[in-house]
Amino acid sequence: MRTSIQLIGVAFICLLLFSVFSFKDNSGLTEVFNLKLRNANGKPTALSDYKLTKGLMLVFTCNHCPFAKLYPARFNELNKKYSPKGVPLIAISSTDTITYEEDGFEQMKKVAGKKHFNFDYLFDDMQILAKKFGADKTPHAFLLWKNGNDWQIRYSGAIDDNGAEPDKVTEPYLAMAVDSMLMGKEPPYASTKSIGCQIHFRPKK
Amino acid sequence: MKKTGIVFLLFITSLLQGQTYNNLWIPDTISGTQFNLNLKDTFAQLRPGNQTITAGINNKIWGPTLFFNKGDTVHMNVHNYLNDSTTIHWHGFHLPAVMDGGPHQIIPPGTIWKPYWKVSNNASTYWYHPHLHTMTQEHLTKGLGGFIIVRDPQERALAIPRRYGIDDIPLVLTSRRYDASNAFAYTNIAYGDYMLSNGTPSAQISLPKQMVRLRILNAEIERGYDIGFSDNRTFYIIGNDGGLLNAPVPVTRVKLLVGERIEILVNFSNDVLGSSLDLKSYNAGQTFGFPGGEPSSSGPLGSLLNNTNFNVLHINIGAQTANPITVLPTNLVNNTYWTAADATVNKSVNVTGGTPGNDFTLDNASFALSVINKTVTLNSIEKWTITNNNVFGHAFHIHDVEFKIVARSSGTVGVHESGWKDVVYLPKNESVTFVAKFDDYADTIHPFMYHCHFSNHEDGGMMGQFIVKSSVPTGLSANELTESDFTIYPNPANNKLFINLSDLGAEVYYLRITNVVGKTLYMLPKPQLTEGIDISHFSPGVYMVQLTHNKTKKTTTKKFVKE
Repeated sequence: MRTSIQLIGVAFICLLLFSVFSFKDNSGLTEVFNLKLRNANGKPTALSDYKLTKGLMLVFTCNHCPFAKLYPARFNELNKKYSPKGVPLIAISSTDTITYEEDGFEQMKKVAGKKHFNFDYLFDDMQILAKKFGADKTPHAFLLWKNGNDWQIRYSGAIDDNGAEPDKVTEPYLAMAVDSMLMGKEPPYASTKSIGCQIHFRPKK
Repeated sequence: MKKTGIVFLLFITSLLQGQTYNNLWIPDTISGTQFNLNLKDTFAQLRPGNQTITAGINNKIWGPTLFFNKGDTVHMNVHNYLNDSTTIHWHGFHLPAVMDGGPHQIIPPGTIWKPYWKVSNNASTYWYHPHLHTMTQEHLTKGLGGFIIVRDPQERALAIPRRYGIDDIPLVLTSRRYDASNAFAYTNIAYGDYMLSNGTPSAQISLPKQMVRLRILNAEIERGYDIGFSDNRTFYIIGNDGGLLNAPVPVTRVKLLVGERIEILVNFSNDVLGSSLDLKSYNAGQTFGFPGGEPSSSGPLGSLLNNTNFNVLHINIGAQTANPITVLPTNLVNNTYWTAADATVNKSVNVTGGTPGNDFTLDNASFALSVINKTVTLNSIEKWTITNNNVFGHAFHIHDVEFKIVARSSGTVGVHESGWKDVVYLPKNESVTFVAKFDDYADTIHPFMYHCHFSNHEDGGMMGQFIVKSSVPTGLSANELTESDFTIYPNPANNKLFINLSDLGAEVYYLRITNVVGKTLYMLPKPQLTEGIDISHFSPGVYMVQLTHNKTKKTTTKKFVKE
């Protein structure tokens, strides 16, 4: 039994080490920056409309997923803390609204108001951004960093390591990545496994 | 980084070594004749650290227990809120194939499926679970499923424990493997590493100092259990999959394969108040071929629980309740079982495949949705012999019927499996013969399944399907249903939609309502149309009604407007 437990531990550490390799394929991100999306605040917005100087926390989330519902307060905190440092948070909903009416645009506006979102909540109803970034769960975070005129993904994955018990979070992955980048260092993890509800991609007709 | 790993290790070690138990979750109950089941993504705290994403029915990893009365017509409203298509199969029930919830009755995301049937099964413990071909293992692992308890007058008349959650305990045995982020692993594995009893890790329960009934279900992927108590006490099997036995059968151990249920009585009357014992599975040293006896502790066929004796439930003896049952009944019910002599048709099924790198199959054919492997004539009594001259044990399950095992090639049929069964353990180098009557429900389109209940095996193609065919014409109109043959009213509609068929002899086999973007909202097998169809919760807009004719199976579509 003990050997097996050690094996699990070793596997865990290996996984952490493995994740240090960074995400290099950032081709074509710029084009999605010009895509106008409906914004829960009423004004259609493209990512290129933001005056982004350093980075951007792009978080794929949605209304219906019970695991995503645990995070809006943390999104507010992240945006409040890092927006003044040049790294705002923008949330995207890419869920298939044919399956989940609860994720419709009107419901997004309601949730953003009710939960006092201090960040923009954009509606990717054609699921273009989610496919481009490879978002597969809600929530799924991407830390984008400006490199000249180009953008690079410097972290992708979970927000942190405990959804339901924020006080028991030991590794706030996304915040750790932002802090590292602000200090000019590599994030401790380039990627982690995103945990939540699968984003259902509408089948092509 | 290393530190995290060590902390994690300590966490798990303390969990295993410490006597930390969690109270066994007793699923909520639904009774009556209308059952609303909402399939959803959810999560659970199963380990220290992050939560595990699970699926659940009505919000919990293991769904509510449904109580049916024999003779009632039960109506199921299965709403799939998952982001995957799935199916829900009513395991053990005798019902029309189109209501069965097998691989053909696919419920797309966002759709409500409304099967119904008259309960003709005996009082026993049944269950419901997903059955989408190639996806069953994943959906079961996520935690979709639940118990169904059927009551009938014979069972009600007996002096046996019947207070759900007090002296009548449902217990579903499963295990899971976790990855480093506490997510369930469900690809390329046959066994979990950690027990989940009713979805509870390291489960304990307080049971009263009296006779207690446990309804035990093996809902594993592949593992068999050899159930017994840590003090080797005798307990009594009172029921198999499909009903009570004629009399209690005393045992100290009983093997329970995937999909099988047993009801047992155990007497705690003489136990000391406050004392404890364990219900365990004795999987150490099993003969090779007993699933879960393999020596490996990791890898696709390994598990930390394999070839070990492990706890499935820690039991603390609590105070006796009012009106306790303390005496074991001598007799239970009078079953009239089929015998081999009753059968007029013989069929055989052979376990094939399973060579290195290949999936197991039945009769050298991998399951294909479009292929009907066997045809049964309505009302015939058949004798099926399942032969496993292959490399490993299996659990054979057949839909539609409860059968009686009449022979095992290795010797006599065990008293522990002498009742009505729908799953049978098929050890290697053995053949099993059972007899069943295929009555009531003929359908030339929708088949029933027979398969290995190891979900990795059935996903891999170890499944076949049979049609029950009526020998006489049904007498229904053979004319094609055309658009002029049915009217829908009112149109526009607000709360209810009514459908009128001009041919009084015609019946609707299937009715589907979709919206303009193609999302299926309702799937109604053999809809009962006199009461109208409730559309009150639909958003205003245009919808399509699609009717399939009972006889011709031709489909006709009409539009209506919801105001």
